[in-house]
Amino acid sequence: MLDALPTAFLFFLAALILPILPRGPLRSLLVLIVPVVAGLAVYALPMGNLVQAEFFGFTLDLMRVDPLSRVFALLFCIAAFLGGLFAWHLRDTVQQVAMLLYVGAAIGAVFAGDLVTLFFYWEGTAISSVFLIWARRSEASYFSGMRYLTIQIGSGVMLLAGIILHYSATGSIAFDAMTLDSPASWLIFIAFGIKAAFILLNNWMIDAYPSATVTGTVILSAFTTKLAIYALARGFAGTELLIYIGAATAVYPLIWAQLENDLRRVVAYALNLQQGFMFVGIGIGTELALNGAIAHAFVGVLYGMLLFMTLGAVMYRTGTSRATDLGGIYKTMPLTALFCLVGAASISAFPLFAGFVSKSLIISAAAKGSHYVVWGCLLLASAGGFLVCGLKVPFFAFFSKDGSLRPREAPGHMLLVMGLTAVLCVLAGTNPTALYALLPYDVSYQPYSTGHIITQLQLLLFSALAFALLLPTRLYPRPNPTVNLDFDWVYRRLLLGAIGLLAIPVRGFFRALDRFKAGPLKALIRTLYNTYGPMARTSQFWPTGAMVLWIAILLGVTLLVSYAS
Amino acid sequence: MDNRTPDNADTYPALGRAFLWLDRPGGAKAVRYTLFILCALLIVADFVFYKKGYLPIEEFPIFYALFGFFSCAALLICSVVMRVILERPRDYYAPTDGALEPSPQEQAAKVDHHA
Repeated sequence: MLDALPTAFLFFLAALILPILPRGPLRSLLVLIVPVVAGLAVYALPMGNLVQAEFFGFTLDLMRVDPLSRVFALLFCIAAFLGGLFAWHLRDTVQQVAMLLYVGAAIGAVFAGDLVTLFFYWEGTAISSVFLIWARRSEASYFSGMRYLTIQIGSGVMLLAGIILHYSATGSIAFDAMTLDSPASWLIFIAFGIKAAFILLNNWMIDAYPSATVTGTVILSAFTTKLAIYALARGFAGTELLIYIGAATAVYPLIWAQLENDLRRVVAYALNLQQGFMFVGIGIGTELALNGAIAHAFVGVLYGMLLFMTLGAVMYRTGTSRATDLGGIYKTMPLTALFCLVGAASISAFPLFAGFVSKSLIISAAAKGSHYVVWGCLLLASAGGFLVCGLKVPFFAFFSKDGSLRPREAPGHMLLVMGLTAVLCVLAGTNPTALYALLPYDVSYQPYSTGHIITQLQLLLFSALAFALLLPTRLYPRPNPTVNLDFDWVYRRLLLGAIGLLAIPVRGFFRALDRFKAGPLKALIRTLYNTYGPMARTSQFWPTGAMVLWIAILLGVTLLVSYAS
Repeated sequence: MDNRTPDNADTYPALGRAFLWLDRPGGAKAVRYTLFILCALLIVADFVFYKKGYLPIEEFPIFYALFGFFSCAALLICSVVMRVILERPRDYYAPTDGALEPSPQEQAAKVDHHA
């Protein structure tokens, strides 16, 4: 029965039903059950274009099921389940409905077989997810949500422009592999790049994720960027440019992540850096590399959610995720601390943890392709990423100096879901064949060789050594309660300033106009009024007969004209 | 708010108490020395075990250890320098950006989590 219904509609249906249900656990249960049903349905789906619809003369493929789309749809179902469980305590209709719509749109986009369907869902993810930010109901989150929405809709508009150009050039709306040889494909590429957080297009991610609610951040981190990874893997696999974009994206956030005080922003930077690895994998485009990128997206969702969950739990209990306000809370939140360490080990690619088995696929692919510089960048990003997420986040959140904070341990459902996600991270790390089996290509790759384990441990532990040696000195950038300028300064300040400059002549023109209206124009009107107005001199001496005379003259002229013509 | 209960280590969860040695004098030192020993062992292991690399530079002895240490040290020092240029006050973009909000737990105070 579920074959005939696009999986996304399950979520939309649930979003319709949810507000009718009584507020309480029943709603949370619905949010939890839908991904399970959807996941089982996706797992059982046969391959092929299952559902088609007619739309203004186009045939839309709503359900293109192939190994690539299926693995992402499964991933999104798992993520939706984990996010739903984390949000079990939530009694906020807005967030619950937004969550369902957002997940539905993301899954719909993954299954979209044509660009028009993709566009609708692409915008759907943007519009539904912004409510997870606004649901925090603070002024800062309102503006952050506005920036997020502007950028995301911008991506959608570029996608639409690209689709229109693509259609007018080729007459096809099919969403298949493209090459960067026309304005159309460039527009689509950049639209994907905005959502995927390419270097310099990435600031929305760091801005928006930590502005969302405790649960919203967990949900946001799983879908938008990974949807874009899917879209890039589908449309631009093997595009060489992506390799260099990826290397730059992986290295760029390192310094900012070091300086950042808000630990949720630090994690956002670290996830952005991991996106770079995936771009490299997609750009190389061999089966090994593509598998690596997809595997990395898969585990990236898991450890990204895990890290945001642990910090979300901390924030839930203490009201802050700033490094300067936290510290020493491992004493009363030990399980949360433990799960954070698992997430940190996973994102840092410690052997036996999730990131190890996926990251090594990509780095090996880069080395095999003899991309020396790129390989070096990825290695640097691995080491620096560990410094940031593996050491800084757990250290300053849970250990560090002992503050006066003695929060209670996270609520039961949060512990349960964090534990579950941590187990998944370890399972993926210890049992890579199960993870690899989900991937679209058959690749025999063995991440666990003695040499590889030793070199990876060397990389990580000597990074830790640098951390340990520099931490007590002034050479370590200890977190300060400040803002650090990033590229978003360009549009939050520079462009704003440029508009301010542009406004000077415009303002000058309108001021001059105002002055003219207040001065000479008013005087002129007053003079005219005084001369010809009802009380004016001229009206007093104006006989009624003059009027009749003029009408007679006018009629005479009319008569002459009509006679002559 | 129950964030600031009287500080009595006996009220901590068992797992939390198990790690209290970290806070004792010498705790951090113990962690650091363990790290030194592990690093030394890894250097030894580098020469003992065979490792297969794709690139010639990977054959260089303890390449990964050197890379990890020096790149991270450089990164940290770079960050300290960059901070001079990049750092701005908390309310640089908007006065509300840095403001402390009520804790989400307080907002959700009426919710029964064990429902």
